[in-house]
Amino acid sequence: MKRSDLTGVGLFVLAAAAILLLPRFVSDFRAQQFAYVGIYFIALLGLNVLTGYTGLISLGHGAFMAIGGYTTAILVSDQGLTLGSHTFSADVKDVWTIPLAGLVAGLIGFAFGFPALRLTGLYLALATFAIAVAMPGLIKYDRFEQFTGGGGGINLFESAARTRPVETTDPITFETISEPIKFLGFEIASFNEWLYYLSWGVALLMFGIAWLLLRGRTGRSFRAIRDSELAAASSGVNLATYKTLAFGISAFYAGVAGSLLAIATTFVNPDTYPITLSIFLLVGVVVGGLGSLWPLVFGAIFIQFLPLWAQEVSKAQGAPAVVYGVILILLMILLPGGAAGLIRRLQALSRGYHRSR
Amino acid sequence: MRRPRLLLCLLALAGAIATGATAATSADPGITTKTILVGGTAPLSGTDTAYASVARGANAYFKYVNSRGGVNGRAISYKTVDDAYDPALTLQATQQLVEQDKVFAIFNSVGTEHNVATRDYLNAARVPQLFVASGATTFGRDHEAYPWTIGFQPSYRAEGWIYGTYLARTKPGAKVGVLVQNDDYGKDLLAGLKQGIARSKVKVLAEWFEATEPDVQSQITRLKSSGANVLALFATPRHAIQGYMFANRLGWRPLIINNAVSSASNVMTLASEGGSNAAVENSLSIVFLKDPTDAKWRNDAAVKLYRSIMSRFAKGANQKDVYHVYGMAVAHEFVKTLKAAGNNPTRASVMAQTRRLNDPANPFLLPGLTVKTTATERFPIEQALLQRWSKGSWKSFGGLWGYRPAR
Amino acid sequence: MAEFFQQVVAGLATGSIFAALALALVLIHRATGVINFAQGEMAVFTTYIAWTLIENHGVNEWLAFGLTLVIAFGLGLGTERLVIRPIERAPLLTTVIVTIGLVLIFNGLVSLIWTAEVRAFPSPFPNDTWEIGGVAISQQDVGTFLTVLVMVTLLWAFFQFTKVGLALRASALNPEASRLVGVRVSWMLAIGWGLAAVLGAAAGMLTAPTVFLDPNMMQAVLIYAFAAAVLGGIDSPFGAVVGGLMLGVGLNLIGTYVDFVGAGLRLPVALLIILVVLLVKPTGLFGKPVTRRV
Repeated sequence: MKRSDLTGVGLFVLAAAAILLLPRFVSDFRAQQFAYVGIYFIALLGLNVLTGYTGLISLGHGAFMAIGGYTTAILVSDQGLTLGSHTFSADVKDVWTIPLAGLVAGLIGFAFGFPALRLTGLYLALATFAIAVAMPGLIKYDRFEQFTGGGGGINLFESAARTRPVETTDPITFETISEPIKFLGFEIASFNEWLYYLSWGVALLMFGIAWLLLRGRTGRSFRAIRDSELAAASSGVNLATYKTLAFGISAFYAGVAGSLLAIATTFVNPDTYPITLSIFLLVGVVVGGLGSLWPLVFGAIFIQFLPLWAQEVSKAQGAPAVVYGVILILLMILLPGGAAGLIRRLQALSRGYHRSR
Repeated sequence: MRRPRLLLCLLALAGAIATGATAATSADPGITTKTILVGGTAPLSGTDTAYASVARGANAYFKYVNSRGGVNGRAISYKTVDDAYDPALTLQATQQLVEQDKVFAIFNSVGTEHNVATRDYLNAARVPQLFVASGATTFGRDHEAYPWTIGFQPSYRAEGWIYGTYLARTKPGAKVGVLVQNDDYGKDLLAGLKQGIARSKVKVLAEWFEATEPDVQSQITRLKSSGANVLALFATPRHAIQGYMFANRLGWRPLIINNAVSSASNVMTLASEGGSNAAVENSLSIVFLKDPTDAKWRNDAAVKLYRSIMSRFAKGANQKDVYHVYGMAVAHEFVKTLKAAGNNPTRASVMAQTRRLNDPANPFLLPGLTVKTTATERFPIEQALLQRWSKGSWKSFGGLWGYRPAR
Repeated sequence: MAEFFQQVVAGLATGSIFAALALALVLIHRATGVINFAQGEMAVFTTYIAWTLIENHGVNEWLAFGLTLVIAFGLGLGTERLVIRPIERAPLLTTVIVTIGLVLIFNGLVSLIWTAEVRAFPSPFPNDTWEIGGVAISQQDVGTFLTVLVMVTLLWAFFQFTKVGLALRASALNPEASRLVGVRVSWMLAIGWGLAAVLGAAAGMLTAPTVFLDPNMMQAVLIYAFAAAVLGGIDSPFGAVVGGLMLGVGLNLIGTYVDFVGAGLRLPVALLIILVVLLVKPTGLFGKPVTRRV
């Protein structure tokens, strides 16, 4: 192991500790917002494999998230599907559907990689945009409605069984069951915290995988394709293999994030994964830094919190959007390399400082 | 070294007092002896800001009630959060209201998908979801699964049924072309219409559209070529206006039924394109509120009260906007429910009251109309009048229609 | 048969609207190599300016349309100088993100200034209908269609015959060589943005009488305009118009004659067809193949 790797592992452990302790210092509601940050982080990691490392722009990652989210929702709603000895929806929300959601999305992404081989640049970006645009219509399509719940969506809560009032002699009395609502052994009171640890646990795992994957041969091939397809091909990189692989991996990450988002909102409908989600994921990647990994956290924080901050600045109709837009543009002008670019610059500065001493 | 320990002791003591204090009272969040805090979502930004009037009208009424001493000495404070009419944001905003602002109840949140999106969460958290501003049938029908949820306005199914029954009686040979928005709202209206014409000779042909489509010219064209002589617009304002416009451009003059969501006077005025679109004349719709633009109510006491409340507590707002009246009607019902729940209302006791509403005298609703629920019938308003658009305003006609589907 | 032609006529009308905005997208891409997500929102912004001129200041309609086009040029030019110029050397994706920022700003500004209420927009064309063989043809639609044809012809002539047009093309294709022969490349980009904003404003003012004016008026149209531009080949003005009209007519015919395609599936099916076209011709129907160099 190189020395820089060791520092990396050390920092990783520190970051993990910080993530572990954060909920102790913030309110339950904030913990939920930070859980969303973890979910976006996963999606951004995946999108960056495709866009930052391989140079293929996707404007359709919200659609892959939708595929993941609906996979989870459909499996855990009330289909009672079994895999081996495990029955899905045995518990209300089933974390075992998360990898499955990733796989389904990944396979579809992999398949989409083949037609994408023929398209370049802008045409590819708009082709991926088309998937995001088409997705709500597909979900609502009559014949899929029995699976997807149509426009009404799917609830992951079985609130019916859990909040029905106990029938007493007085039908007006509103007695409710006293048994706490359990969620994989956790009580609902700590749902937000549970969600936080779940999403960040998965996020750290996915981060580790991405790090290992991208520092090796695969990562080198991706970067070679990004820098020049012709040069990569002439130095023996199989374009078809690696481009489709990048699509597959990227969609796998999006699927996992979409699945977590479904669990977080406990409800999916076509509007859970709107076209704007795909666009803001791209914003998050660029704000975090193309071709970076951990600085993407800043991208995730940006897309989760900036809209809320913008609303704090002014609640006048339309004003939050203006604030958001202005900050985004200023950021692009001042930090064209995103958070990662800033960090590199700071590192260079400190190195220069040490040398001059 | 002694001071920190003292500090620790004090802290522990304070903690004990704090926990003891919370354990001693069993009151629900959001309610004190002086105030009660309710919250709701409304589109304060985005394309559908027209519906935000519903919250504005309710807020004005609460201020009026507060100025007269509140409810059992409690002032009602009503916090409206913007969701830009995006269900995903509705959920986040509602969670914020419940978990951060600690509201007593969610009240009068706007939109069908929007209330569906929060319904499971609110029922799991046992927070009342009161008088949702949507006519989707599910809010009344599925009360067993969602006991903490109740609607208010006539259900879309009841509305559709009224149109269907009216057509079956007055135009037995009609062929109805329906422009339907492809979501629960459109589906409910269409289902009601079909219920209403059951066992009559009236025929129905539906053309669906997506709310995201730029225009509905193609759908209107198909409805016209089908030979329909009645056109029902089950669409929100923008597409309903287009329905009128394209029918006119095609030279098609059917009887047009426009659903209540899109029948506000300002929408009708836009649709008439400065008087050049004659297709608007004689349109039908339902009404259950006292429309402040209807000359019939010019000297009505409630409408006068409405105007005075608006000028005192909602300065600058458009008083012709019937959605403001809606807001007052629903706020009036909330105040009445809260009073009935006694001196120390809890979430459960308020919810229990919503299962036995019986208010024949909500002043903002049409005379004769009763807000009524029982433990098993949870549609507060199932009555309405038909009205006809004539020379720039709505005029109601005939008697009250009560939803009685032949099952 | 009358129904078939009626659907085709309706499709051409809707397609003209797609084509008008697609032209703006094509122009800006051809002149600067950028995809401008804010094209639709800028169009809405300028359309509101026209609306204010007519409704609040009593300006004659045609004069207001003309003034708006001039203002739009300034708006496009100014936007380029203010926010695009500082990132001239940044990667393409950064520019795309900046245009997303512009979407938010223009959309917010419109709500802030004019509120989100739906408004009627006066049409430059009569609101009457011709009836030909059982097919109703709205004069508004005919006017829109002809305007789009005029727009594409002017654009073609501009690129083909004017010095500025040639310089625009040259500086987008090869900035370095253009600089050597004395073209002020940076200003060419600004002019490209200005002209695209003019086309966008025209598209907005053609769209508003039919779909009514509100802050999100062009959002749905923008998606169809993208599809139209890609179908036609993103560099070809002629292709954008053909793409837009094909899309408009195609959607209507699919909706009318293909039974299983409900409302929700009309757009996905159309997009699938476009994707298939792209697989056969990766640069669209009228796009030139890209030559790759190492």
